[in-house]
Amino acid sequence: MLSNIGNSLLFLNVIISLLIIYYSYNCLKISNNLIFKKIYNLSLFQSTSILICFFTLISAFLISDFSLINVYQNSHSLKPVFYKISGTWGNHEGSLLLWVIILTIFSFLFLISNNKHPKDYRLYTLIIQNLLILGFLFFILFNSNPFGIVNPVPKEGLGLNPILQDPALAIHPPLLYVGFVGSSIYFSAAMASMISNYNDKPFAKSIKSWVLISWVFQTLGILVGSIWAYYELGWGGFWFWDPVENASLLPWFAMTALLHSLLVLEKRKALYFWTIILCLLTFTLSVTGTFLVRSGILNSVHTFANDPTRGIYILIFLSIMISASVYLLFTKYKPEKSHVSANSKETFVLINNWFMMFYLLTVLLGTLYPIFLDALLKSKISVGPPFYNSVIIPVVVVFLVFMAVGPQAKWIKNRFINLKQLLAILVGAIIINFAIIYFFKSYSVISNLIIISSLFLIISSLFDFLKKSETNLSRILSHLSFGFLIFFIGLNHNFSIEKDFNLKLGETKIIDNYKFVLKDLELYNQSNYKTIIGKLQVRNVITNEERILKPEIRIYENPQTLTYEASILTNFFKDHYLTMSNIDRSEYYNIKFQEKPLMIWIWISTIALSFGGFLSLFRNAKNN
Amino acid sequence: MKFKIILTILLVNFYSCVLSDEIINENKIHKNLRCLVCQGQSISDSNSDFAITLKIVVKDLIEQGKTEDEIYNFLSEKYGDWILYKPKLNVVNFLLWFLPYFVLLLGGLIVFFIVRKNVKKT
Repeated sequence: MLSNIGNSLLFLNVIISLLIIYYSYNCLKISNNLIFKKIYNLSLFQSTSILICFFTLISAFLISDFSLINVYQNSHSLKPVFYKISGTWGNHEGSLLLWVIILTIFSFLFLISNNKHPKDYRLYTLIIQNLLILGFLFFILFNSNPFGIVNPVPKEGLGLNPILQDPALAIHPPLLYVGFVGSSIYFSAAMASMISNYNDKPFAKSIKSWVLISWVFQTLGILVGSIWAYYELGWGGFWFWDPVENASLLPWFAMTALLHSLLVLEKRKALYFWTIILCLLTFTLSVTGTFLVRSGILNSVHTFANDPTRGIYILIFLSIMISASVYLLFTKYKPEKSHVSANSKETFVLINNWFMMFYLLTVLLGTLYPIFLDALLKSKISVGPPFYNSVIIPVVVVFLVFMAVGPQAKWIKNRFINLKQLLAILVGAIIINFAIIYFFKSYSVISNLIIISSLFLIISSLFDFLKKSETNLSRILSHLSFGFLIFFIGLNHNFSIEKDFNLKLGETKIIDNYKFVLKDLELYNQSNYKTIIGKLQVRNVITNEERILKPEIRIYENPQTLTYEASILTNFFKDHYLTMSNIDRSEYYNIKFQEKPLMIWIWISTIALSFGGFLSLFRNAKNN
Repeated sequence: MKFKIILTILLVNFYSCVLSDEIINENKIHKNLRCLVCQGQSISDSNSDFAITLKIVVKDLIEQGKTEDEIYNFLSEKYGDWILYKPKLNVVNFLLWFLPYFVLLLGGLIVFFIVRKNVKKT
């Protein structure tokens, strides 16, 4: 029953999209500046029906209707209600439905919120957005239908992978999707802008809020994913340069570049085509990321069930998208008379874009190179954290300095920057760095440079904040928090302590300044798993600080899996992170203990960073 | 004069950390080795038998006085380049290592020329 409702709604959406395209096309031929009322209505109807379609799928998960293959494969009747719901988008088919929802709702919101802009531009945006919607609807209907049925109806579902049963991972995909699927709307708008010759400042104004929204959500989505990886994967890290993580980072770089170049387009009417390219690039990278993740050609910790036909479909979709945008770009391109003077704000925005493109290409290359090498030469290589760290980190040092200096420049004028003040800040940064060396002992040259340059950015952002004349609070906050983010990552990376040893029940072990005792092991039965909880006493011999950590080993039944839950104690100074795992044929347990300084500040800095985006969004909404 | 003072501070600063770079870091080596039986984990992060064995091998090699690079060469000959997270700089990986810097240089030149062209005009 639910399967029929879902399928009918999907068909209905195809028809609505076709109708919207048809009416928009007709409306374009009429020469007044009014959009047919029925286009608005259809667009609202489209958003409503796709939402109902999604709720149909959610209810199938809620009542455990195993006649749907999707529910059968990804749910289980004993699963807690919350994870039944989040299971809806925790799989390939359901998440594609979420894709279409965001495409559709953004299409509707863009249509109703831009009524000051000309008709042609809005309609072309609508048409292109609906072509994207159609592409994904067909993909769902013909290849990845969440409403497919299974016969005979199974009695019980296969269950959701236990490591996905987690609150952070339940909200991670929706956040990330608003980010990178949201970028579709400025892809469509950029195409429409070229077709209808609607450019420069008004174009920049019409998409600015959308870029900000997607950027904020993308940032938060990446953050939640990292927090999840930190406490769930049990390695104590939060960023692994895993290909799937890279896939979410690539659009973020493009968005960040776009966010800055839009400022130039808005204020100075320059860089129009470059901004267009960034709009197109962001969504193209989002689809590329989806292609890489879903086709299964990447080797990653994120395991999506793989199926080569999916890859082929997305690849065709992607090539059409790219060739259409490249074609349009070539036919419309005119060299512009840009007015960028040295030492002006425009120059520094260009510098931002330059570095963003470097990060983007490095990460893209690192992600794709092994695939090409394997296909061309049959040689297998790995590109992991040590590669990215050694290529990117030295460049970040220079980047942070530009980030500190740039905002002080003025538009148009090439006023020289106050050199004395910069030197004073630099000296201040070095002195603080000395203090850090004194407290934590020494560390490597490159870490040293990272700390100094991030302090440089922090101090100069604080100076900007204190200056009364400066009113751009969102920029100061974002730059300041980015400085803090790098600063805390640097400190955390350098001064983390890691101990790895084996322990049995009742045993005591002393390593360096720490004394570990495995006091107790208890077995509990939970609703859908069994768990062994260890009780580990950790005492710092010097400070006499004592903590009890309770790591878990969970045994899930459906499907049968072992997972190791880290025990994490957080305070404002440091995290204690401990995992325990059983060793086969032995009464010993392997213990991994980590002390990670200032961990929580990494999360707080990222939240503050995205809050800067929020502030900018509010200001932008108020000004328009 | 001021510049000299700042330069000295910087040099002292770096000198103090160069010394500590010399020591061979076991964990750094572990982090560069892929656990071949796991999904995208280094042997530092894994508890598998493979990871445990490999950690012992690395320890032995360090005790034999092998340098970091010698250890990587030894292991990649045995298990293939797949095991190294930081690809070696060779003919095959040349583009991987140099393209990012090439792009950085090219981007810099583009920005420089855009800005200079406009300086001339004004």
